[in-house]
Amino acid sequence: MPTGFFTTVCIGCKVCEVACKQWNQLPDDGFTFTGMSYDNSVDLGASTWRHVEFVERPVPLSGQTGGNFSWLMLSDVCKHCQRAGCLENCPTGAIIRTEFDSVYVQPDVCNGCGYCVVGCPFGVIDRLESDGRAWKCTLCYDRQKDQMEPACAKACPTDSILFGEVAELRAKAGERLEQLHARGVKEAYLYGADAAGQPGTGGLNAFFLLVDRPEVYNLPPDPVAPAKYVKESWASLAMASAGLLLAAIGAVWSART
Amino acid sequence: MNDGRYIDTSIATLEGEASHQTPPKQEAKIQPVPSAPPGPVPTYYDKPAIKPPVWIWSIPAYFFVGGVAGASMTLGLAVQLFGGKRLRRFDERCRWIGAVGGGVGTALLIHDLGRKTRFLFMLRVFRPTSPMSIGSWVLALATPLSAGSALLTLSRGWLYDAGYAAGMAAGFLGMPLATYTAVLISNTTVPVWKGSRRTLPLLFGASSAASLGSVLDLMPLRDRERAIARRFGIAGRIAELAAARAVEREASAIPRVGKPLHEGATGALWKAATVFTGASLAAATLLPRRRILAGALGLLGGACVRFAIFYAGKRSALDPQATFLQ
Repeated sequence: MPTGFFTTVCIGCKVCEVACKQWNQLPDDGFTFTGMSYDNSVDLGASTWRHVEFVERPVPLSGQTGGNFSWLMLSDVCKHCQRAGCLENCPTGAIIRTEFDSVYVQPDVCNGCGYCVVGCPFGVIDRLESDGRAWKCTLCYDRQKDQMEPACAKACPTDSILFGEVAELRAKAGERLEQLHARGVKEAYLYGADAAGQPGTGGLNAFFLLVDRPEVYNLPPDPVAPAKYVKESWASLAMASAGLLLAAIGAVWSART
Repeated sequence: MNDGRYIDTSIATLEGEASHQTPPKQEAKIQPVPSAPPGPVPTYYDKPAIKPPVWIWSIPAYFFVGGVAGASMTLGLAVQLFGGKRLRRFDERCRWIGAVGGGVGTALLIHDLGRKTRFLFMLRVFRPTSPMSIGSWVLALATPLSAGSALLTLSRGWLYDAGYAAGMAAGFLGMPLATYTAVLISNTTVPVWKGSRRTLPLLFGASSAASLGSVLDLMPLRDRERAIARRFGIAGRIAELAAARAVEREASAIPRVGKPLHEGATGALWKAATVFTGASLAAATLLPRRRILAGALGLLGGACVRFAIFYAGKRSALDPQATFLQ
């Protein structure tokens, strides 16, 4: 049963962050003031599995009346990629794909090698210093086991975070996109909704409706799971290995008596 | 009526103390701090778009030590195949360098683990999409094979044959052992590593050969052994210098991506690597009697290469522009 989220009408209330922290009993991020608009949790990490971004732009949204300013909010989360860089990199088999088609780190297996951290094109997963293991959003695996939707989706007051079958979510997202286009918000588009739109990840189980370039939301324009482009590196390794052997044979051969 | 008060006059009256005030010009007051500054590539408050590697110094140290070990196993193979009986002692030395290097390398890797006691979980599965998984298996097989061959070839009969076979196997595993770490770091989203993925294995292979040559320079050897070590080391140093230029060029295809190799502490380290390796090459070719100098300079150059590439990667991961342009 594939499941996923999508985010459209976020109002930046951060209840998803709170619900996530409460359900998963995650520690707080420290009560610091960053000066980055209302964003004080800064990024996703080992103990921040939901992160609401606040983008302040000195330009209006299409169809917006009055004001040379627009505010974009996005509740960021692990995307549970179809081709997950973290999972492909994990050497211990700690990271698995669950029966709900989500990507899950098994804490009893993870040995904290840190390779998933650099495998994620979105900077989601991180190693917790105090604990030595890698952590990220579980898509509320425990709640899903009990046929409940994830805590963030449950708590979201505007239904900006929707949860359900990915195919249904895609259809809903398509409808929403048409509505927005009809209303004059021509810049709206879907990010990572399917493999055709984002071949590098094979599509995201948590995809987004955006109204500006992905970089504005700190999302890479073309995320790719590393194993997709590393083939060139293996070819280079073969050449380097051959070179090493030839140099060794050459040195021994040329110094024969 | 939008006068800044947002009061619906059909259900409320404007009778408050300051209801006579003319509304200030709203637009003029708004001076937003753009979170996405205008430019070719916007960012989110210039925050990193990916997580920087969590690895510490022991990882580039392993790149260096593991490289020497891998190159040594490979040289051992060549000696075994083409060296004849007189070079047996040299062969044994190569295998010991391989075994000790593999052992020290393993310790360095475990030192970086978040959960050190779970180091054996590295061999829990074999995952072909993960160069770290492949590398763990290569290291775990090559190290005991190299030690075993060094020990067993001292004996006779079938034990010798087993040692001979182990030496062959270690030799073939030594090649990927010396180079897989380059594939491992290329297989990431870190801009400078990802951006030099075609040439990085060549640099790591060449640097391994140069560093092994330098290690052997520091050891007492017989004449013929010395000649082999010197030739191998010189070839390695030339290749290292050439491959470093290739890496720099590939990484700098997008200038922002190659930036850490040109600027700051990592840029200085990268330049130092070239200077040390160049000086070591000059010493090895022009001053054959100053082998200690050549060896020391070569080791410094090799270490600088690994640490420069490693810390350049850490820095480039913090630059969202580089991540987005990649």
